[in-house]
Amino acid sequence: MMFLFIAAPLVSVLWQSFHVTKPIYEQVEVETCVPGLLGSSCVIELKTRPILSDAGKIITNTTYVGLQSYRNVLQPEKLRTAIKNRSWREFTNIRFWSALRFTLVFTVLTLPLVLGTGLLIALAVNNTVPRLKGPVIFVSLLPFIVTPVIGALAIRWLFIGDGILTAGLEWWLQKDIAMFAQAWTIELMMYIYRVWHVAPFAFVVFYAGLQTVNQDTLEAAIIDGASRWQRLRYVIIPHLMPLVVFLTLIHLMDAYRVFEEIVGFSSSAHVISLQWLTYEFLLQDGTGARAISRASASAVLTMIGIAVLLAIPLRRVWREQRGS
Amino acid sequence: MSGPAHRQPLSLKALSNGFLVFWCLVAAFPIFWITVMSFKTPIDAFDSNPLRVIMGPRTQTDVGGLSLLDIVLALALTYVLIRFALKWLPGKVRSFVPAGQMGLGWLIGCGTFGLVTLILFVVVLPGVLGVLNPVAGPLGVDVLGLTTEHYEAVWIDRGFMRNFTNSLIVTCGVVSVSLTVGTLAGYGLARSDSLIAFWLLILALVFRALPHSVLVAGYLPYFISSSEWLAPILGEAAPTLYGKPWAVIAVLVAINQPFTIWMLRSFFQNIPQELDEAARVDGCSHFQAFRLVIVPVMWPGVITTGLFSFLLAYNDFLVTSLLLDAQNMTMVPAIANMFNRETTASDEVQAIAAAVSITAPLFILVMVFQRQIVSGLTAGAVKG
Amino acid sequence: MFFKKISVAAAVSVLVAGAASADCSNTVSVKTISNAFPAYETMAAAMAACGNVTSELDKDHRLKIVDAFSANPSLYSMTSLTNSTSVPMIDADLLRPLDDLVASYGKDLNPNQFVKIDGKIMAIAAFANTQHLMYREDILSDLGIDVPTDWAEYIAAAEKIQAAGVVDYPIGHYTKDGWNLAFVFVNHFLGEGGDFFNADWTPSINNEKGVAVLARMAKLATLMDPEYLVSDSTFVTKQMQQGKIAMANLWASRAGAVNDPAESTVAGKIVMGAGLKGSATLASTIWWDGWSIAKNISDEEAEAAMKMIVASMAQDVIEAHNDDAIWLAPGFVPGAAAQGAFATAAGQAPNYPMNKYIGSMHGALGSGLAAFMTGDKDAATTLADIEAAYITDAKEKGLLD
Repeated sequence: MMFLFIAAPLVSVLWQSFHVTKPIYEQVEVETCVPGLLGSSCVIELKTRPILSDAGKIITNTTYVGLQSYRNVLQPEKLRTAIKNRSWREFTNIRFWSALRFTLVFTVLTLPLVLGTGLLIALAVNNTVPRLKGPVIFVSLLPFIVTPVIGALAIRWLFIGDGILTAGLEWWLQKDIAMFAQAWTIELMMYIYRVWHVAPFAFVVFYAGLQTVNQDTLEAAIIDGASRWQRLRYVIIPHLMPLVVFLTLIHLMDAYRVFEEIVGFSSSAHVISLQWLTYEFLLQDGTGARAISRASASAVLTMIGIAVLLAIPLRRVWREQRGS
Repeated sequence: MSGPAHRQPLSLKALSNGFLVFWCLVAAFPIFWITVMSFKTPIDAFDSNPLRVIMGPRTQTDVGGLSLLDIVLALALTYVLIRFALKWLPGKVRSFVPAGQMGLGWLIGCGTFGLVTLILFVVVLPGVLGVLNPVAGPLGVDVLGLTTEHYEAVWIDRGFMRNFTNSLIVTCGVVSVSLTVGTLAGYGLARSDSLIAFWLLILALVFRALPHSVLVAGYLPYFISSSEWLAPILGEAAPTLYGKPWAVIAVLVAINQPFTIWMLRSFFQNIPQELDEAARVDGCSHFQAFRLVIVPVMWPGVITTGLFSFLLAYNDFLVTSLLLDAQNMTMVPAIANMFNRETTASDEVQAIAAAVSITAPLFILVMVFQRQIVSGLTAGAVKG
Repeated sequence: MFFKKISVAAAVSVLVAGAASADCSNTVSVKTISNAFPAYETMAAAMAACGNVTSELDKDHRLKIVDAFSANPSLYSMTSLTNSTSVPMIDADLLRPLDDLVASYGKDLNPNQFVKIDGKIMAIAAFANTQHLMYREDILSDLGIDVPTDWAEYIAAAEKIQAAGVVDYPIGHYTKDGWNLAFVFVNHFLGEGGDFFNADWTPSINNEKGVAVLARMAKLATLMDPEYLVSDSTFVTKQMQQGKIAMANLWASRAGAVNDPAESTVAGKIVMGAGLKGSATLASTIWWDGWSIAKNISDEEAEAAMKMIVASMAQDVIEAHNDDAIWLAPGFVPGAAAQGAFATAAGQAPNYPMNKYIGSMHGALGSGLAAFMTGDKDAATTLADIEAAYITDAKEKGLLD
């Protein structure tokens, strides 16, 4: 079952990225009459139509194109000119590279923020009055459990147009602000949203980890005169290290696939991500055709990117497995 | 952490608690805000002045609202009911129900409680207030605009109940299937020293990494034409997979299964092997050892993992929106469907009301299972 | 728009009473799939009243219908189509010619509703849509501005309104990145008298007409809310309802909503004008929306589906929901909301083209135009890159050699 649902698509994506399937077209003269408000209008025009087989299916022709689809996605010539001219702007004007730029920055930048925020909340909750812990944990978990599409929309409603938070900022800074008008504000909102959404997960994992910190070691550290900071640095954080690896793995993987934010914040005019690029190729255009080959190539490139990113934390897990 | 050695300076305490308060505000505000918006007419809901959104002057003149007296009484009633639920109900259930049927007893207890709450809020409270408000003078004058029309539109007119049931079916299916398979496989793997576990992790990562849009777009044509290509195998009975909840359950389980197995494996590894070995020595079979020794201690880990499966299935958008037809549509795609080329401001507020509605079960879920989540994670479900 | 509020459920109960007179009672199981517009909700409710009809309203229906209709038997008896979505269905020969069925059951339909390909009726349109001017009558008359008829006058009027400072931004426009932004370009390019393709279907937008359109779009952007790249029709409608803008060129189907007292703070002050002219013709396109019946179903089911189509646009249904859409079926009485659409049609607005190449071009425009609007590329580079993207795309889809 697992093989059927995952391995099969995986192989087919790989195969499709090296092949192109096209219908075979013919030109025919067709008279088309369409309705209008004041009467229908007819035109005779030359139309391109796929040829149908006797069974009524569209005849297609599949050819091996090698790396052509990858070239179409990567646009190496444009990349070369951009590098030759040392022009960052030309570089980010190529869709794939600008998507890669954003995806990488997004992944790398939110990782420490998520881990840091999660750890801070965990320490603070651990530190607070026991009576309050329950409700605080409950509230903290909210952003994580809320349906992602709905969370993104909620944040968007707060900021879009004269949403109340934008209005609040305008009142505070006494100037006109449009959060969705330029790239950096949108990017900033996307970072904030991701941290808001994922930090609770890091928090609850860290919090669970804090419950198992060895009290004896901690007592010993105190007797040795370790300061609060030293205790955190040398006792607690090493104890949490396996959790950091776990969270890093999950976060890298999920953040590299960033997609909901692009939809939720309609940021596609300013910033796009790799998964969005794949989605854009895959989306049927108005007349029902899709660029499957390029979509597959872009999906394969996305997976390669994830594999590279995950190599480092995975090596650690591998060694632990071998060791144990 | 306690004891004199742990005593902290006041500044640190203040800083840590201050940060906590700030975080709670940040965490809860967006959800609180959409809840407020969902109770207003479109003009108020999208006003740029936050006070007008909260007070809802247009809502008040057009539909009506709550007086101070209403608010005070409703809050008091809520407080009493919560106290009642926490303090009195568990004791009652325990004393009335024989130990063997605790689950059933809780079900009846909670059901009765829910019913009483509903009657109190929908029938008794408005009745009492209808009498009290006119005589209460300034306290009885409406101050807070409030309308439930969007909830009525969503649940009654748009038939959201059906989407709710569908979500329930899909979610329950995914959770039960993936936990059953995951528990057995996870337990088996935890007791074998092979490297399968590592490759399982890799597999889990690859599955998560594959863009879902690619997966689903690949499935769609096969799901739709399944009665044709399954016919040689299954003959006349070959089903059309498209639109069938169980087909979606299978897809969601498959996507998430490696992750589930991997998490449960780490959890079972933390249950000492001596425990089931001892049971084997006492003459239990493999299965008996599992049932008698492992099952009683596995709940925290299973609940934590189950929660992840639940969130995945409940929140899923891509798979359910493309592979289910309207009759079997779950809630998230149903909400997304409210946004289309002809969306109006009323539609948007209805979508907000629907969004708040689907968040409510998640609320309750976390409230009930919160302790198990933390203890499940503590017990090692996430040991790298 | 009071009628929009009438739920499907309520509409069913109303129509059950009316159904007896229309006599549409149905015994064959019919399944429909359609877009999720209010007008389709109305029609679905009318069909449901006849019995044995299950309707699926799905805004993503276009992603499913080609596969669903290729199955044998087809998963649905009928689907809603429009200018662009009809192309793949006709190409793959998935639709049933309706001439016989229309002859038997369609006496009450308006001949103007038929979509004919080579003389055969392939679809029956229910309503039409276009884009036209909507303006705040009070603001324009206060400032003594004449109602603009072309884009140059529109921009001049907007500048006057901006100078007077009566609203936040003088105009709104559906310029959301992607399909909407590309659609703005398509309309303006047609309004300049441009032709997207050479005779061999290679692109021809990188010319002075294309540059002129981009220059106009950049000019319009300065008169809009700076968040114009996330502004879709709903956003513009809300701006209009909240009194933040004075004029907009908007879909005719929104004409009811802007004056809806339940949503609008300026209800009744907005008047509809004709679509605006470019230097050659109107920069608006006309769209039709209607039903088609699947080829791969039994004749019996097709017959029942045809009866349902007729029932969904029966005169009493149209009369009860007159303001839901600009209906093409008999019984529609154009009100104040429809006057802009009719003025646009009278001005000879072209139909949105029905071919595969414009689909690919629209897609290339949708992902390429934003770079110009944000100032990342100049006009010539943008257009050249879009042409290149179109060629790559059309080649992969087999449309160009």
